[in-house]
Amino acid sequence: MRQPTLVLLVLAAAPSLAAGQPSPEPAGGTEAPRSRPLSGAELDARTNDIGGLLRCPVCQGLSVADSPSSMARNMKSEVRQKLAAGYDQEQILTFFERSYGEFVRLEPPIRGLNWLVWFGPLAALIVGGLVVAWIVRRSQRDVASAGADPIPSDLPSRDTLPADARLADAVRRTRKLAYGWPGGIPPEPRSSPS
Amino acid sequence: MSTTPFPHAGPAPPSGINPWVLGAGLSVVVPLLAVLVMNLGRDPHSIRSPLVGQAAPPFSLAPVGGGAPLSLESLRGRPVLLNFWATWCVPCLEEHGALTAAARTFAEVQFLGIVYEDDEARTQAFLVQRGSSYPAVLDPEGRAAIAYGVSGVPETFLIDGGGRVLEKHVGPLDPGTIATLIAKAKGGPP
Repeated sequence: MRQPTLVLLVLAAAPSLAAGQPSPEPAGGTEAPRSRPLSGAELDARTNDIGGLLRCPVCQGLSVADSPSSMARNMKSEVRQKLAAGYDQEQILTFFERSYGEFVRLEPPIRGLNWLVWFGPLAALIVGGLVVAWIVRRSQRDVASAGADPIPSDLPSRDTLPADARLADAVRRTRKLAYGWPGGIPPEPRSSPS
Repeated sequence: MSTTPFPHAGPAPPSGINPWVLGAGLSVVVPLLAVLVMNLGRDPHSIRSPLVGQAAPPFSLAPVGGGAPLSLESLRGRPVLLNFWATWCVPCLEEHGALTAAARTFAEVQFLGIVYEDDEARTQAFLVQRGSSYPAVLDPEGRAAIAYGVSGVPETFLIDGGGRVLEKHVGPLDPGTIATLIAKAKGGPP
């Protein structure tokens, strides 16, 4: 059995954590806490808030605040201890990011390619809206130009007859056959609805 | 007279695809396909650890069976193979033999087990029964595991003598993988 030589504990760790307990180092490594130490109901509330921003690494899309797993419980207690030591939200998120990667943040920070995630959908919506507006306007313009004269004006009306006498006679006879009156549709509606 | 039911719809569209529609479609589909193809061979669980190349997070943890806390700081000067494991983890049982043997073979590397989410008595019984050639420390609240970004066991970190993380391995180790890791710690091919 080979035991390594034991050296002094690094007690320069987090100020509030070094209560004789063996403990890992504080949040942002050598960084000093940027906020004030929290306690009581405020500590509970902030622990929950920040837990909601952290992804539980062993779950499927659950936040640390929502997950019942022991991993999430440990992470929550880590958040709690850091808040109690006075670390602010960004310092705590950065601490987790340093070990788990950006993946651990449920809300990706707005930088680099993440711009696409945050503003891509909005940009797509705007571009799509512009395209739709353009298409609608174009089709309206087409209708306006094509529809300046929508119905040909030289259609014969029921009261006119062709100039050619034989054609006029044929039309008159056809009307008589179809409507029972040579002038086209009778001047009064026919009374028998059957 | 035309047979179209919509006489004012204008001329029939030309056959073929509107180049604008084609361009817009391609500009969406091509990047998606590129991302898909680029990641086809990748294991979705293997997210590269951001710790690789960085200073290993310090810790000071109580050894199984009692004794003074063991810190990473105290191991400076030679490479450390840091193995997160638990007795309830089946792959950890598989690699235990390989690690125990390797720790005897590679005396120039310090092996250290960090017990993850486990009970001290059970761990001690396990080590007595199966044998061990290197120390194991307890991580009761999982704080070291969190500092190392551990999301399951076994996970193994290779740390150089200067305290920098050289490599992270997820999953059980076999003798060949251990030898490759250690060769890397020594800065040369196996």
